[in-house]
Amino acid sequence: MIPLARELQDIVGAGWVKSGSSDLLAYTSDGLPGYRRDPLLAVFPGSRDEAIAVVQLLAKRNVSFVPRGAGTGLSGGALADGSVLIGMQRLRRIIELDAENRTARVEPGVVNVHLTRAATPHGLHYAPDPSSQSACTIGGNVAENAGGPHCLKYGVTTNHVLALTVVLPDGVVVQLGSATQETEGYDLLGTFVGSEGCFGLVLDVTVRLTPNPEAVRTMLADFTTIDAAARATSDIVASGIVPAALEMMDAPTIQAVESSIYAAGYPVDAAAVLLIELDGSAAGIEADAERVVALCRSAGARRVEVAADETQRQRLWQGRKKAFGAMGRVSSHLVVQDAVIPRTQLPAVLREIAAVAAEERLTVCNVFHAGDGNLHPNIPYNANDPDESARVHRAMGRIMQACVAAGGSVTGEHGIGLDKLDYMPLIFSDESLAAMCRVREVFDPGRRANPGKVIPVRACREWALAPAAR
Amino acid sequence: MSHSATHTTARTTALPGSPLEQAASGLDMCVHCGFCLQACPTYLALDDENDSPRGRLVLMRGLLEGELNPADPDVGTHIDRCLGCRGCESACPSGVPYGQLLEATRATLAQHRPIPLIARVILAVFRNPALLALALGAARLLRATGLTRLLARLPGRPGFPFAMVESTRPLHTPTRYANDVSPSGTTFTLLTGCVMEGLFAHTNRATERVLEANGFGRQDTANQGCCGALHAHAGDLASARALARRNIAAFERSSADLIVTNSSGCGAMLREYPHLLADEPAWTERASRVAARVRDVSELLAARGPRPGAAIPWRVTYDAPCHLQHAQRIVAQPRAVLSAIPQLDLVPLADSDQCCGSAGIFNLVEPDVSERVLETKLRNIQATRATLVATGNPGCLMQIGAGLIQAKSSARAIHPVELLDASYAAQAQHRADP
Repeated sequence: MIPLARELQDIVGAGWVKSGSSDLLAYTSDGLPGYRRDPLLAVFPGSRDEAIAVVQLLAKRNVSFVPRGAGTGLSGGALADGSVLIGMQRLRRIIELDAENRTARVEPGVVNVHLTRAATPHGLHYAPDPSSQSACTIGGNVAENAGGPHCLKYGVTTNHVLALTVVLPDGVVVQLGSATQETEGYDLLGTFVGSEGCFGLVLDVTVRLTPNPEAVRTMLADFTTIDAAARATSDIVASGIVPAALEMMDAPTIQAVESSIYAAGYPVDAAAVLLIELDGSAAGIEADAERVVALCRSAGARRVEVAADETQRQRLWQGRKKAFGAMGRVSSHLVVQDAVIPRTQLPAVLREIAAVAAEERLTVCNVFHAGDGNLHPNIPYNANDPDESARVHRAMGRIMQACVAAGGSVTGEHGIGLDKLDYMPLIFSDESLAAMCRVREVFDPGRRANPGKVIPVRACREWALAPAAR
Repeated sequence: MSHSATHTTARTTALPGSPLEQAASGLDMCVHCGFCLQACPTYLALDDENDSPRGRLVLMRGLLEGELNPADPDVGTHIDRCLGCRGCESACPSGVPYGQLLEATRATLAQHRPIPLIARVILAVFRNPALLALALGAARLLRATGLTRLLARLPGRPGFPFAMVESTRPLHTPTRYANDVSPSGTTFTLLTGCVMEGLFAHTNRATERVLEANGFGRQDTANQGCCGALHAHAGDLASARALARRNIAAFERSSADLIVTNSSGCGAMLREYPHLLADEPAWTERASRVAARVRDVSELLAARGPRPGAAIPWRVTYDAPCHLQHAQRIVAQPRAVLSAIPQLDLVPLADSDQCCGSAGIFNLVEPDVSERVLETKLRNIQATRATLVATGNPGCLMQIGAGLIQAKSSARAIHPVELLDASYAAQAQHRADP
């Protein structure tokens, strides 16, 4: 065992430092199969003080580290290539839930849905609802500025985080933002949220809780062409109605979900379905729902079904939220893109994606947040087949280029991590990337927090010249 | 596009011909989404991804690809520590056949390192009908003399096995009641089982009475025995297959329409006989025919809409045995059986779909992990303030029952069918003595 492991054991106790290759294997990957990086060690602090002491020791020893929540990320952000992996899953206490002021202070390892479960008796919930919410952690959500279906109306993680306590890579503990939402000076909280573990380690998170809506209407609209579904999406948003969520799934996705235990009763012969949710006050929701139904029909929907009760609503949503996992039925590996495009470009870009898939002889499963133009083309493939892998890589690049050409961006909510590094120069100039590096320097001058992620090293001239921090 | 349940990836592996290699296509179905993590009792208890389904699948892949050594004790520990509850299968969108992969991995590891001694002793006893009868007879003797009541007071682990036996003491004196319902035509034969007939004979008789009272005709099957589930779960596939063949032959001789089980672990095993014997063409077809006749007692009763008995105004909660909920996907039926009892106050149990830590012989082989999982279960039970916990599996009945005894709780565990039986008995009593 290397001396560092022993020193870490003194902090967290034996058993909470993994150093053997067999013990580390499970920590070499996250939610995106196909990537694998070997950490130097993995350490699992059991308290806030232990987490601080770990970061301070790593600062003293000049060792880089990577924070990890539940390992459900989809950009390879929690992979530690020779760094120390700091697993935060043991810190999962809800420290305080203030129903009156509608806030909660939680440890970073709290599972997203557990916070909503704790808030439910008070008629509240935590609004950002990534599809992985049954597994992912609030700390990971903060790192990735996670979204989710209901972020269309309610905003993404950054709109719900009021304050953070973080330990910076040099071991100094600072508070960013405040529970009272007063901001003085620069918005450092806003800078930290979405920094993908490159600015430090989160110790606790104060979040806003959202009152449950008085009324909810959930609808499933069934289309025979993707074009018609995309048109309906534009028409609904253009009508001025703000749905709580507006999701699209295409035929391959529907078929994968319907053959799983989360089968939701989606029409397996549809080219696409829209899952539309309206919420708000009871007065007026019926009228809005009728308008949405009419808009779907005039765009060409075969059928629009309104969920009859909470059970059916949950079933419709479970199918959507578990769709990513269900694609394991199609093939052994999976890549997913996270591009955001202007909503009006949906029909054209979806056609382009279909054309790329056909040319490269691949199956693309589209399941995405149509309402805010956040695409998730998933490509299931077999990584052991070099020819197929090459075609997937090419297709992913072509799809991303099409999205950028349509005026889009390379990530909506999954982060850049490792997977989307190569796309950064597609949308940012060297100058912009260098500016980002300088922001990163402010938080992490030693360049030890999640090295090698987000900014391609070659884009940062001074970084590229410096030896990699270890 | 194909949506076949398995991918056909030709591969060369480090473990040629091993059970794990045969099951390998199941590994490819995992796309690392992590939705299984929070469904895994050992991940929740131990906070280590190596003790989660996703982590164990990574270990299995590592074994298969030669990156990990099957004799490596660090790998074996995490595979040993799995309860085999299959709660992950109820959370997996991709349909990873986790239970099959676990059994294949344990069978593969068993070729490279011995199964733990205590497990080997227990499995040997269960393999040998004479030894098993002797062991169960001794347990009954301890129970009859009241010694188990005394020894259960030994704090912690030393007292636990005695508390397990003590918990099998019948809660009510079984009373036979006149059956005034004529058989409907559907006949059943009961899998009497090993532990069930040895320590839960009262539950077996209650099962027969309740089914007869609902119009099912009974036939008995001789020469049946232990189902082999304990052996299969531990990686001793050869013994499991031998026991399976014996039972298949026994039940083939029965003309009963259905084979009824009241032990969910055994029911799940019987239903998986075709998979267990997939490599024996002469037996696969016969196994399928037997498996197709298997029903859990709650399925039969729920389908019939059990006739109500007399009121039992007790506060009862239901805990789902993993091999009913996750392996057989029988979720609503046991609750339907309980709702046939007038005035029964059926209160919900938090996380009732999570394992209690019994898991066959897991509580004897991995006592520490088992105890931590049980602690959570007992806490949730206590919060219901129920006086009875209904659950349809002998392992769960003894695990929860022993836990309650050792925690000095006044609550007890009981099979749902016994409650219905008590309700019918009370009804007969009222009629005879109005």
